[in-house]
Amino acid sequence: MRLSAIASLALLIPAAAFAQTAQGEVAVTIYTDNLALIQDTRSLAIPAGRSRQEFPDVSAQIRPETVSFAADGTAIVEQNFDYDLLSPGKLMEKAVGRTVTIVRTNPATGAETREVAKVLAVNGGVVLQIGPRIEVLRDDGLPVRVVFDKVPDNLRARPTLSITLQSSRGGTRPARLSYLTPGLGWKADYVARFDEAAGKIDVQGWITLSNTTGTSFVNADVVMVAGTPNRSGNGNYGYRPQPAPIRRAGTESGSRAQLGDYYLYPLRERTTIANAQTKQVGFLDIQGAAARKAYEYRVGWLQTGETASAGTVLKFTSSKEGGLGDQLPAGTVRVYMKDARGNPQFIGENSIDHTPMGSELAIRTGDAFDVKVKSVVEKRERLGDERWRTTMRYTITNARSVPVTVDLIQSGLDWGWQDTRIASESLKSERLSSNQAQWHVPVDANGETQVTAVFETRN
Amino acid sequence: MRLLALLAVLAAPTHAAVVTSTRPDAVAVTIYRDPDRSDDDEMDLEWLRGFALITETRSIDLPAGDSEIRFEGVAGSMIPVSAIVTGLPGGIAEKNRDARLLSPAALIDGWLGRRVHLRRTSPATGAVRESDAVLRAGPGGGVILETAEGIEALSCSGLPEALNYDGAPTGLSARPTLSVRTTSKAAVHATVTLSYLAENFDWQANYVAELAADGRHFDLFAWMTLANGNDETFPDAQAQAVAGTPNRSDDGAAAADSLSPSVALSCWPMGTTSDVEIQAAAPPPPPAPTMMAGEDIIVTAQKRVERLMAAPVAMTAVQEELGDLKLYRIPEAVTVAAHAQKQIALLARENVAFDPVYTTLVTVGEEQDPTPVAILMRTGNVKERGLGLPLPSGKIAIFEQIGPRPMLAGEAILKDAAIGDEIEWRVGRSPQIQVAQRELAQGGGDSSPRRYEIEISNANSSPAVVEVAFLPPGSSMQLVSPSRRLDARNGRKIWIAKLPANGRATLQYKLVAHD
Repeated sequence: MRLSAIASLALLIPAAAFAQTAQGEVAVTIYTDNLALIQDTRSLAIPAGRSRQEFPDVSAQIRPETVSFAADGTAIVEQNFDYDLLSPGKLMEKAVGRTVTIVRTNPATGAETREVAKVLAVNGGVVLQIGPRIEVLRDDGLPVRVVFDKVPDNLRARPTLSITLQSSRGGTRPARLSYLTPGLGWKADYVARFDEAAGKIDVQGWITLSNTTGTSFVNADVVMVAGTPNRSGNGNYGYRPQPAPIRRAGTESGSRAQLGDYYLYPLRERTTIANAQTKQVGFLDIQGAAARKAYEYRVGWLQTGETASAGTVLKFTSSKEGGLGDQLPAGTVRVYMKDARGNPQFIGENSIDHTPMGSELAIRTGDAFDVKVKSVVEKRERLGDERWRTTMRYTITNARSVPVTVDLIQSGLDWGWQDTRIASESLKSERLSSNQAQWHVPVDANGETQVTAVFETRN
Repeated sequence: MRLLALLAVLAAPTHAAVVTSTRPDAVAVTIYRDPDRSDDDEMDLEWLRGFALITETRSIDLPAGDSEIRFEGVAGSMIPVSAIVTGLPGGIAEKNRDARLLSPAALIDGWLGRRVHLRRTSPATGAVRESDAVLRAGPGGGVILETAEGIEALSCSGLPEALNYDGAPTGLSARPTLSVRTTSKAAVHATVTLSYLAENFDWQANYVAELAADGRHFDLFAWMTLANGNDETFPDAQAQAVAGTPNRSDDGAAAADSLSPSVALSCWPMGTTSDVEIQAAAPPPPPAPTMMAGEDIIVTAQKRVERLMAAPVAMTAVQEELGDLKLYRIPEAVTVAAHAQKQIALLARENVAFDPVYTTLVTVGEEQDPTPVAILMRTGNVKERGLGLPLPSGKIAIFEQIGPRPMLAGEAILKDAAIGDEIEWRVGRSPQIQVAQRELAQGGGDSSPRRYEIEISNANSSPAVVEVAFLPPGSSMQLVSPSRRLDARNGRKIWIAKLPANGRATLQYKLVAHD
């Protein structure tokens, strides 16, 4: 019996749900900055000569100035977008100077009496003329129904696009309507399952489409275009800026279709993008790419006395060799790890920009509970008018039962002068840039490592 | 049966079968703290800003071919893009989350341009009259109907009027629903795991420290307080909480709004001569929340202390490692109820040793009136002192036993403390011990260095140790020739002043320019 229920549902639901659309064959191209191009090829019965064609079921957020229309043997006379919406107030305003029927109901007996009234004005209240008398509608608060003869011509229930055509011949033919609309957008969402012991990561990529246009697009051919920079950034900047996830941009090309410099992501099947729907379609499924965990901490110039957790960073590449082997559209990477019972648990997320293939990525997933860094300005000595010697001590503690290595970065070395010098240091540093020096600090299990460095700077 | 099977086969190529999973068989809830809430802020039960990972196990019967599985009863605050579905034999073609809900406005929207039934009741006689009408406009700016008599607006006449519909529009659900499309080679019974992040959860640790009579030890107890601000209850859930700070990315991946418009039954202007406004009755305000206010948490904690002797804790959360975070697992299945907060023992340690310390901060070369010093409890998160376990951040209430009853000695904030970390709680200020600084009268001329004196007074009948930390002066000046030995901590000079009972201690120094 379960089978029968499924079968009958299958027959009924899609038919009823989508029977009403006036859309034809729809092709949708979606850009990442909340913009989409809709191409809608409808079969229209166009008579010879002038005719007005209405186009219901276009996006409710249509940008009417971008509409273009093409049908064989037709020329456009004018395009109209009417957004004067039908409401009781509008209905009454448009009835000024015209007659309506009013139906009074006797509150004691329920008896109805009808009168014809002329609407004189609608300013704050409705003023009616009934025969020789002038009266304010429902002045006594008693029930009065107002019945109008018809709906005025240009009031509509929905914003409506209409095109007046001049056609050389009569007959049904395909007509192509295209326009831009906001309200359709897409981004990527990545599910990354990290196996720390094996140093592996499984990544699933999903394209997430969202439709807030107010209109459903039925059985549409959908293509997403990647390449417009996403404006969203990292949420948790905090007081010290975090390094961007792309550490080194890649130089490999993918096999996906391209439009100029932009990659295209077509959906394999036609699909319906319902209004108020978030739809996700998989585009990437990689098992067992190499990944490792690292710790990073960036110290601001003269940052002293604070103890803070080092950031936990997940490092992997989008390279063909040992990596994800694909370019990654901008989106959010959510990282999961298994707990002691083997259930996946969420350990953090971060956003990435459009990432070319072959890039080195470092996703900061959160702060490490057990790995902390304390930086202390031990000494500040003045060497001269414009010269200071600063002794820094960094204490890195590790409460984990395994040794860790922390990438410790001292930033703020360059304040417009490039003559900052590290006079001495207890561990060899690597100068990342004029502004930053980095130490790879090994810390024993349940241990502590101290690093000292003496900087000579202009401030 | 043969006919039905045939129907299914016919249906398969064109339209997917719809399989509805109404409720999960088992559910696990892992709650994460609001990453932006500072350690001294309480959870706002009206607006919880943490989140949770919800993992549901559901069993479904899949037909062969394409099918659409609808998951009902997911948390309303689900972040749809975070959903992960595993256990489907054919994988997933697409995931959909529909936020179109069945509502009065959705009914009008769905039946727009179609025939509905208008019911009018005579207030005098109670007679009910039903007639057909076509919906011409709505639901945004008011509802307009075309009846046999003409065009009318709904609920503008002052008569009781209602619309009746022949059915609910398809594709609308009672609550936001996640559905996935899959293909299965054969009809199977599948156990599916659905995981997703949901908002409107939060948790915090609430500590209670009971000071021992010696003033150098305390018993530590902590509650794990979980809160669920959703409409959904998770019965018999495996519940966990995660301490630490996972990163969140703020890129609009919020829970989808239930984009359900409301009906605005606006009419034409209704002003009258007597200027009595006739308005549709406003909907009643939502019922007042029946939950505890935030301040009550301390009261709860206090009760707990009084109960400590009578009712021992039967269930304590179990801590395990989760990457660089800490996971606290409630060992038994519990019910995480809707709009409710739940407290479970997080940890307990007896006889933890600490040092009571007085500290103060003075600025070099700045006069200061007598100021009370801060009272600190200082200890290390190590086994030797009775701790040595990860302590997730939270508020701590410190109680002192005065005679038969516990008294609140102070409240402090505990930051995430890893094993081995030094812990300092600022309990309050001591009016008994005050620190002052003054500039001493000049002995020589203008060129001689300025001299300052710091004086600490102790009104207690016991000796005390005060740590005075020096805040360095402007970059061109420095402190020289102190009259007492100075130490250094965290890059700052400190003076460890030993005060006799009911006595004073002083220190003089000079302020000179840098070379």
